[in-house]
Amino acid sequence: MPNLLEVRDLSKRFTSAGGPFRKARSMHAVNGVSFDLPEGRVIGVVGESGCGKSTLARLILRLIEPSSGTVAFDGDDLLAKSPSQMRKLRARMQMVFQDPYSAIDPRYTLTRAVAEPFEVQGVKPARPMAEEVAELLEMVGLNPGLASSYPHQISGGQKQRVGIARALALRPSLLVLDEPTASLDVSVQAQIIGLLEDLRTELGLTYLFISHDLSLVKYFCDEILVMYLGRVVEALPDTAAPARHPYTRTLMESTFEPDPKKRRLIAPLEGEVPSPFDLPPGCAFADRCPQASALCRTETPALSSETGHAVACHHPL
Amino acid sequence: MLSVRDLGVAFGAVEPLSGVSFSVDKGETIGIVGESGSGKSLTAMSVMGLLPLIGGRITGGRIVFDGQDLTSLPERAYRKLRGGRIGLITQNPMTSLDPLQKIGPQVDDVARLHLGMNANEARARTEEILGTLRIPEPALICDRYPHQMSGGMKQRIVIAMALAADPDVLIADEPTTALDVTVQAQIIRLLDDLVKQRDLALVLITHDMSVVAQTCDKVVVMYAGRAVEYGPVETIFDRPRHPYTQALIACIPRGLDDTARLTGIEGTVPTVINYPKGCPFHPRCTRAEAICATDPPDFSVEGDSAAACHFAEVADAQSA
Repeated sequence: MPNLLEVRDLSKRFTSAGGPFRKARSMHAVNGVSFDLPEGRVIGVVGESGCGKSTLARLILRLIEPSSGTVAFDGDDLLAKSPSQMRKLRARMQMVFQDPYSAIDPRYTLTRAVAEPFEVQGVKPARPMAEEVAELLEMVGLNPGLASSYPHQISGGQKQRVGIARALALRPSLLVLDEPTASLDVSVQAQIIGLLEDLRTELGLTYLFISHDLSLVKYFCDEILVMYLGRVVEALPDTAAPARHPYTRTLMESTFEPDPKKRRLIAPLEGEVPSPFDLPPGCAFADRCPQASALCRTETPALSSETGHAVACHHPL
Repeated sequence: MLSVRDLGVAFGAVEPLSGVSFSVDKGETIGIVGESGSGKSLTAMSVMGLLPLIGGRITGGRIVFDGQDLTSLPERAYRKLRGGRIGLITQNPMTSLDPLQKIGPQVDDVARLHLGMNANEARARTEEILGTLRIPEPALICDRYPHQMSGGMKQRIVIAMALAADPDVLIADEPTTALDVTVQAQIIRLLDDLVKQRDLALVLITHDMSVVAQTCDKVVVMYAGRAVEYGPVETIFDRPRHPYTQALIACIPRGLDDTARLTGIEGTVPTVINYPKGCPFHPRCTRAEAICATDPPDFSVEGDSAAACHFAEVADAQSA
């Protein structure tokens, strides 16, 4: 399959302005991220808060401007596009947000919310709008009878379905899913994940799935990128691949299984994610890593697949 | 140590909680698990005697702590217990910490108030407890403000505050929900160790079945303000008898050995104003029949566990 998305060396640096009591500081939210997303695949991006996964999602859709690097969508260099060209292209690449409560205007009926993408793009659907909206609602498992309801009249899970219907309105090929189930109850999360699986096969969609939940990513995705403090530290080619980076292993060991017979004596990792404003030289994980050497504290390891699947570690497992 | 029998709670005419029972002993962890709006936090507030604060009242049942019925306990006596022999850990550590006060004095206050220690004794105790919680350089931490610490560290401070009064029962309401997974693993491990070392009775309130599987001895599954199933953790995960428990377990990805499709549960969790009649789960239940819509089911007891379902025995016959 050809690559729908090619990301090369993508970086985003944020700077905070200084003031009378504070020096100006800067941080790399995303640092040199490269990967290919072939058509029809699902790649998961997993990491803890502050690892840059949501910034990466926004960079890819060019909702924020990268500091450096390139993003090619279906062979087109996105960063060379003008705002109006970009708007046209976004019909084919859509995003589903984490918080369905803030993603939909509370004053819009569901009809208007789902029809909004057509309005923004200035396109008319082939049939009457009411029919189009009804079909989109049905596609995401909502009763078309809800079309005249307002967001506050429906549940969180239903709102997320509306969020997905909006994203699908213009028949995109790529969906970027930014923690689409993180604010939902597990029984509803499972419904939404099931829906996304069905839509993927029915519509031949390609997904970039951002999540903090490794077991969900393993369930849903074909390949997994593990991020830590702005960098991809490991690219797992399939969900059964063993961890090669000590951080990935920790993440796997910290993820509990819902089975009391598989209780394990976790030896939790000491320490927490350091502040991205104040990163030590070398590998960002070195301070928490049980096998860090002097080399790790001076030289940042590059993502390399010389001895197996890609990992950014001087001493891979 | 703590036993709750047939607890019911009302706010005016609305009754968000009814028929909740569980008990927990020293050295034991019980999990109270359910989705949002199932009444698990309300159960915690009832035990802590905090219902009057939010305008609720207990309508029935008993809460017995160390032989004493708490439902009729006067507020003055409750104050001694609360934060003393019964400790509470909340989801958001900032609701328990004063942002304007240094860590040391905040933790000291607990021992001074509940154990009658003087300032020096209390500080020594604070530093000792911080040490047992694997907090590096306790003396230094005592001199910091909450905003200077990470979320995981703040949660440890809150745990230290609960431990300072030497409690018998600890109620932890979603203690790791706001934390990253690697930090969650640290905190869960810590609570586990405390239960064993200090012979604590821990009530762990959570929405996460994986956390329950990993830490609890017993479980109560709640739905729409009622306990629907309870029992030893192995039984509940191995042979769940209530359709809700079965569905809840089927909602969680189980790792690689199990590629069964996640099914989800049709419909949504009811809110307190539209709790269904009969069995609260019947509108979403695949096994529901006419009786489920009219008659609330009684518990069908089997060994140490019980499920409130009209068809629990049918499920037993099928699995046998």
